[in-house]
Amino acid sequence: MTNLIPVLLAAADTSKMPSVGYGALIALVGFIFASLWIGALANRKTREGSFMTGFFLGNRGLGAWALALTATVQSGGTFMGFPSLVYTHGWIVALWIGGYIVVPITGFGILGKRLAQLSRRTEAITVPDLFRTRFGSPALGLVASLFILLYLSFMMFAQFKAGAIVMKTAWPGSGVLSVNEDQKPFALSEKDLVALSDDQVSAAVVEKLAPLVGHGFSTEREMTAQLKSLLSADEYTESKDRIVKRSKQLDRLYLYGLAIFSLTVVAYTLMGGFLAAVWTDMFQSVLMFFGVMVLLFASLHQAGGLDNATRTALKNTGPGYVYGPGYDDRFEGPKAAPNAKTAPRMAYDAAVPREFLPLSLALSFFCVWVWSGVGSPASLVRLMASQNTQVIRRSIYLLSVYNLGIYLPLIVICICGRALIPELPGQTDEIVPRMALLATADWPGGSLIAGMILAAPFGAVMSTVSSYLVVLSSGLVRDIYQRFIRPQATPGELRNAAYLSMIFVGAVAVAVNISPVAYLQAFIVFSATGSAATFLIPAIMACYWRRATVAGALAGMIGGASTVLSLYLLGILEKTPEQRIGQLTSFRPYYLCEVDPFVWGVLVSGLCSVLASLLTTPPDQKLISKMFDKELTA
Amino acid sequence: MSDNTDPVVRTGRREALIVVGIWLMAAAWSVTTSYRLGYNRPVEELKLIWGFPEWTFWGVAVPWVVCGVISWIFGALFVHDSHLGEELPEEADELGLGG
Repeated sequence: MTNLIPVLLAAADTSKMPSVGYGALIALVGFIFASLWIGALANRKTREGSFMTGFFLGNRGLGAWALALTATVQSGGTFMGFPSLVYTHGWIVALWIGGYIVVPITGFGILGKRLAQLSRRTEAITVPDLFRTRFGSPALGLVASLFILLYLSFMMFAQFKAGAIVMKTAWPGSGVLSVNEDQKPFALSEKDLVALSDDQVSAAVVEKLAPLVGHGFSTEREMTAQLKSLLSADEYTESKDRIVKRSKQLDRLYLYGLAIFSLTVVAYTLMGGFLAAVWTDMFQSVLMFFGVMVLLFASLHQAGGLDNATRTALKNTGPGYVYGPGYDDRFEGPKAAPNAKTAPRMAYDAAVPREFLPLSLALSFFCVWVWSGVGSPASLVRLMASQNTQVIRRSIYLLSVYNLGIYLPLIVICICGRALIPELPGQTDEIVPRMALLATADWPGGSLIAGMILAAPFGAVMSTVSSYLVVLSSGLVRDIYQRFIRPQATPGELRNAAYLSMIFVGAVAVAVNISPVAYLQAFIVFSATGSAATFLIPAIMACYWRRATVAGALAGMIGGASTVLSLYLLGILEKTPEQRIGQLTSFRPYYLCEVDPFVWGVLVSGLCSVLASLLTTPPDQKLISKMFDKELTA
Repeated sequence: MSDNTDPVVRTGRREALIVVGIWLMAAAWSVTTSYRLGYNRPVEELKLIWGFPEWTFWGVAVPWVVCGVISWIFGALFVHDSHLGEELPEEADELGLGG
């Protein structure tokens, strides 16, 4: 007995040290198992009806919680991209996200009821299904599915990367999240130097590498440039590869993360289909809500109240942090701030290099958030699955509370973050995880709470991926395989096709992400708004306009998509002068008249569909009557 | 337009228009208020309300709460319960997916 005590003490001691990492890992593992369990539950429920409606649409039985907390645009972005923007640009991001104040009603009140009805009348399982039957045109259905497959693939591939990165950061000892460390993907530690000597790298070279210990490099090229200057040409060519390989420790973790992430997501989505996607989404949304609440109070406490946080953050940055059009690091960084004391400096003047949110973009984003939430295929399909109008109404109630509890608190957390962590060069994406670690550091069991908060974005990414997986697989199986390749497929064949298509999509996503391609990111940026610009107007017409024709819907889709695509291409290929507005990204769109491409896309799409509809012969009255008139029930 | 139009189409269309109206008003209020109080201002005049910059408070935080209340009223008054149609007797059979 007595012999055990020192052992126990030692165990307690070591567990205290890296506890942060283990807390996150435990939470992640818990999350993975919870998701698999949910997948199994959903699997049982899915078996109740026919395979197709059950697997791809949850038997049209979504309740209020499931609908409210999953139907709107929430993804990994909410917990990584958005906080990073707040941290970088300051309070102005509140106005950027401002459109969300009406999303609960616009998301459900504009198309909800009618779309749920239409999906029943058309017996549609997928969005292309709905278009095909509503307009009586297989060609339209095919075009819609091609668009969806294209957009969703791009968006989903990016989410795989995000998932892998979260897993990587949760790895104990990855060092990425320990608050004082600034780890880049390529770095050498003392341990690596020892390992290099074991790799038969000459002692002279290892010695020359000593000054690099603790230095991080963002890219391989950056690192090799440094190596070139340290080593002689012979030494360089001889040992470069081995050194770079050693320094890539984090990338190995990234691959593990990618593997675990992909296996989990594909596994539970395979088991439970649409319901598994929706339920895990709901589960993580609820978890996230509590996580954000805890983090809100913890960070306010640490920062000494919001008043104090805002003022400290302002001191850490510059006037742009509290005013429009937003803070620009390069223009009024910490070194520029003292000027503000001597001369009254305007938050905005003609010489500001980058305006995050000029008036035109503020207006644009009021459209973007609202209407992309209405028109994106993933939201459309959720509405199609809703149980009844009561569910839609309750979803409005729920979501208005939920959104209020998520977005403003996240902004407050990140403002506190800027006060507590003045700088995070190149790693602003990590602000929420870092705040979680910082805020819970002194708490008993704090590491577990931090772990939960770390798991939140992981959950968000997972559920986003699984819902895309379902839509993609339903597109491949229902809209392509069943419609065009094998209409007489048996249920067993369809089931196999569904499973195969998911595994295939998952495998492609992994393959693409093993070494992410640069231009992929550009398409993701475009896909997010492009998909909504493609489907918004046709969906509205399908619901409410009797006179809408096939040509109209087709013109709307193509008009919207091509407008957004060309504006993005103009920007990405740098065919237009650089506009110093909006987010700083390497894939900027061209903001025609300083307005977001989405707005132009929707305008063009609306114009095209109305004109094309009016110029073509009116649709068949019998079809329209079936879609719009009272059902002839006995 | 025939009188035969399904009530869901009618109420749906009306509710959609109301929602669009709410959206327009929210956008107009939020953007003009934020612009008036939060753009082109010297930092010395920064006023905080509960720690929010004045423009965020009046332009985003308050409208957010107001819109929350409006959402509830809208839900209670307008989203009429209506019959969405039976769950299909089973399209499964028609497509040969039964079981």
